[in-house]
Amino acid sequence: MKKQLRLAVSAGITFGIVTIFLFLIGFTGTSGDLLADLFGNKNAAPFLGLTPQMINMLIFLALVGLWAGSYGSRKSKGQMDDPWSPAVIGGLTAGLVHGILVALMAFLVGTLNLRHVPINMYLASVLPASIKMFLLGYSPVQGALIYFSLFTLTGFLGGLLSRGIGRGGWRVRLMADWKNAWGRFNQTSLIKQVRGNRYTRLVIYGVLLVLVFLVPLVAGVYWNYTIGTVFIYVLLGLGLNIVVGLAGLLDLGYVAFFAIGAYTMALLTAPAPQHLMWSFWIALPIGVVLAALTGLLLGAPVLRLRGDYLAIVTLGFGEIIRLLSTSDIMTNFSGGPKGVPNIGGPTLFGKPFNSAEDFVYLIFLAAILIIFVTNRLQNSRIGRAWEAMREDETVSRAMGINTLKQKLMAFAIGAAFAGLAGALFASRNKFTGPEDFTFMVSVNVVAVVIVGGMGNIPGVIAGALVLKGLPEVLRELQDYRVLVFGALLVVMMLWRPAGLISSSRRKMDVEKDTGVPAPPKEGGEK
Amino acid sequence: MPTVKAPARRVSTYKIVQAVLGILFAGYLLWRIYVVFIGSPTYGADTWARFIIAGVVLGSVYALIAIGYTLVYGILRMINFAHGDIMMIGAFGGYFVFEAFKAIPAPTLANPKLTFLDANPILSVVTAFIVGASVAALGGYFLEKIAYRPLRGAPRLVPLISAIGASIFLENAGQLLFGTQRRDFSNPVILTRGNGWNLPIGGTTVILPYTGVLTVAVSVLLMIGLYLLVMRTRLGRSMRAVAENKQVAALMGIDVDAVISRTFIISGALAGAAGVMWGIHLGLVYYYVGFLPGIKAFTAAVLGGIGSVPGAMLGGLFLGLVESLGPGILGMSFQLADVIAFGILVLVLIFRPTGIVGEVLTEEKV
Repeated sequence: MKKQLRLAVSAGITFGIVTIFLFLIGFTGTSGDLLADLFGNKNAAPFLGLTPQMINMLIFLALVGLWAGSYGSRKSKGQMDDPWSPAVIGGLTAGLVHGILVALMAFLVGTLNLRHVPINMYLASVLPASIKMFLLGYSPVQGALIYFSLFTLTGFLGGLLSRGIGRGGWRVRLMADWKNAWGRFNQTSLIKQVRGNRYTRLVIYGVLLVLVFLVPLVAGVYWNYTIGTVFIYVLLGLGLNIVVGLAGLLDLGYVAFFAIGAYTMALLTAPAPQHLMWSFWIALPIGVVLAALTGLLLGAPVLRLRGDYLAIVTLGFGEIIRLLSTSDIMTNFSGGPKGVPNIGGPTLFGKPFNSAEDFVYLIFLAAILIIFVTNRLQNSRIGRAWEAMREDETVSRAMGINTLKQKLMAFAIGAAFAGLAGALFASRNKFTGPEDFTFMVSVNVVAVVIVGGMGNIPGVIAGALVLKGLPEVLRELQDYRVLVFGALLVVMMLWRPAGLISSSRRKMDVEKDTGVPAPPKEGGEK
Repeated sequence: MPTVKAPARRVSTYKIVQAVLGILFAGYLLWRIYVVFIGSPTYGADTWARFIIAGVVLGSVYALIAIGYTLVYGILRMINFAHGDIMMIGAFGGYFVFEAFKAIPAPTLANPKLTFLDANPILSVVTAFIVGASVAALGGYFLEKIAYRPLRGAPRLVPLISAIGASIFLENAGQLLFGTQRRDFSNPVILTRGNGWNLPIGGTTVILPYTGVLTVAVSVLLMIGLYLLVMRTRLGRSMRAVAENKQVAALMGIDVDAVISRTFIISGALAGAAGVMWGIHLGLVYYYVGFLPGIKAFTAAVLGGIGSVPGAMLGGLFLGLVESLGPGILGMSFQLADVIAFGILVLVLIFRPTGIVGEVLTEEKV
């Protein structure tokens, strides 16, 4: 009982702080816009004096309240199986605490706003308009009461929903049913035949290919640009996937190779600092080779370090390259902080081939090439050596793997892919400068690899689509994208260190211990 | 695990290259020092004195942050990547204390416009340090509890990635909460930046700023306090025991989780104090303020041999001096001071990852 109360109070405090934080960073208002996009009710008529945005915000906050209630009513260890009292007490207590905290905040902020205290001078996201919206146009006291009752009610409901109706029970059963059904579906002879058949696979690939080549024709300039950016991140992710995912070397300065590819393309094809104006098709391989060479050069001394030291050294290298490119001493060579404008685009059979749409094709081609290479590498002796090295360096060395050589190879190949991505990126944007190569780019790529699933190709593609594509679709999220990146990295490490789509080898690792034999793999290892 | 004696070591090409590069670099450095001081002096003694003052002040801030890295690394063998952002939290804590005190009027007959901040500078500064350190300590505590504790025993990359995530989260939370603009740290009038004692050096006067003296003094005090805490108290003893061996420490009845938690609180408090110093001395706070000092302090910790507290102090001081003297000695543009710091980081990690004064670490630690 006491334990239950303590759990509930701490849940209430946690969710109270989270809700207040969401308000202070301005997310409560944004949630209204976001849901309006989802429901499509942006221009609906006001209801009970509340704009659709306010209603959406209330819906969002109610969901948070439900979650708080269900979290507060979770079972403490060694508790008797009596569902009702914890549901009522836990949910209600969590809701009460949650409500009191948020109501206090609403009252405080509302009062300050009434006295014209410029809160947004210190808390940038708390604008008078957003305070007004948060209070739904009511006075501070009324607003506080509304939130108090909202969270108490939803907390109570959340507790009832999750415990009263047998928390754990229905969810576990549903998951089990779903898993069984999926398993049975997979075991049916027709599906097996279709999946095992090489021709069906070919057909699927063909359909995918056709789709991929049709999309840029349909999409407009904006979407082609966005798709291009997303797939540049796919290229980068696939490159880093070799370094981090397969070889297990955390590289936080990956942007350096991206920068080298981009600057090579820029300096060789642009008229400005170097007067070379070579063809795109010559500059592209040079950029790739230069990036790979830099990878070898940087890697040779650095790769003797392990794990976290390697991460910091590569971060240092990345920052050095960025600082040098912004400094004055490089102005004559590479444009300095101004960057390089007028980068040349590719020509094909004498015609310019440099619209956003054309670049989508180029980037797709590069992605297919990289996927092919990665796939072949992964299943080769080299790929196995990388994965062995990732799992245990000492053992893999004992097995006769020349770890330094393998690490260098991974580093150089990863760098080459980044160089390719960089060259395409610079040529497509027709401009490149130091701002394109901040530490955040490295972090984004690491996030793509980790969120998608280290060491597996579909995972990386999914990661890039989720992390770079979703914020484009949900434009309201733009401001919170990086924040969510950070939180996602932590959450992924806590809950799903293997990523969204875990690679088959890792899965086998996990399933080994459950006593259930892993299903035989189709295709691949025949 | 029984250790196997390595066969007789042959001198690897790597070692030779390393030695040759080292000698070349040392030669270049000596030559530059000769050129700058004796050959054709670029700066007078007063300029060098200014560089040294700036370097010592900066170094004492780095040292405080570096101690946090070293304490955590010593115990958990992980780089607390978000440590610089904990410093940012502390800096904002101090900033808000000064802003709040500035808003309180404390009129006297002589000066009706006097604010509480200017009327009670000592109280304000002490409050700022206490608030900054406590906020940052809280941040450190929750950081450990949320992002690191569940990952104990995971492969080494996992907590590091989690730390990077936490760092990005904190930076962006700072940006969304407090905005992107750089805020002026409003010191009490007595501590106006640029004011100080005038020292006659090389024919002109060199200012020894009050803020700098305050920074160094507080930093030294905190370091002495930390030394006493680590060497003389029960908590310090258990911290050292946990750093030595977690399992055995647990067998001796030490609550390992509590010790780790307290380590994060202590290192957070030190970083918070460093953040307030940063604000008072350099004058600007913004969401990204912790990133560079964080990485540089990590460099300092590595320089001094990560895991060793005196090493971190020395490393911090050394790095501060190198950063302010380096561009002058090497004849580089002052824009490149950060490049020198990062260059040292890379060089030390490549050639001597155990640090300059560090113990010889086993391969597992490096």
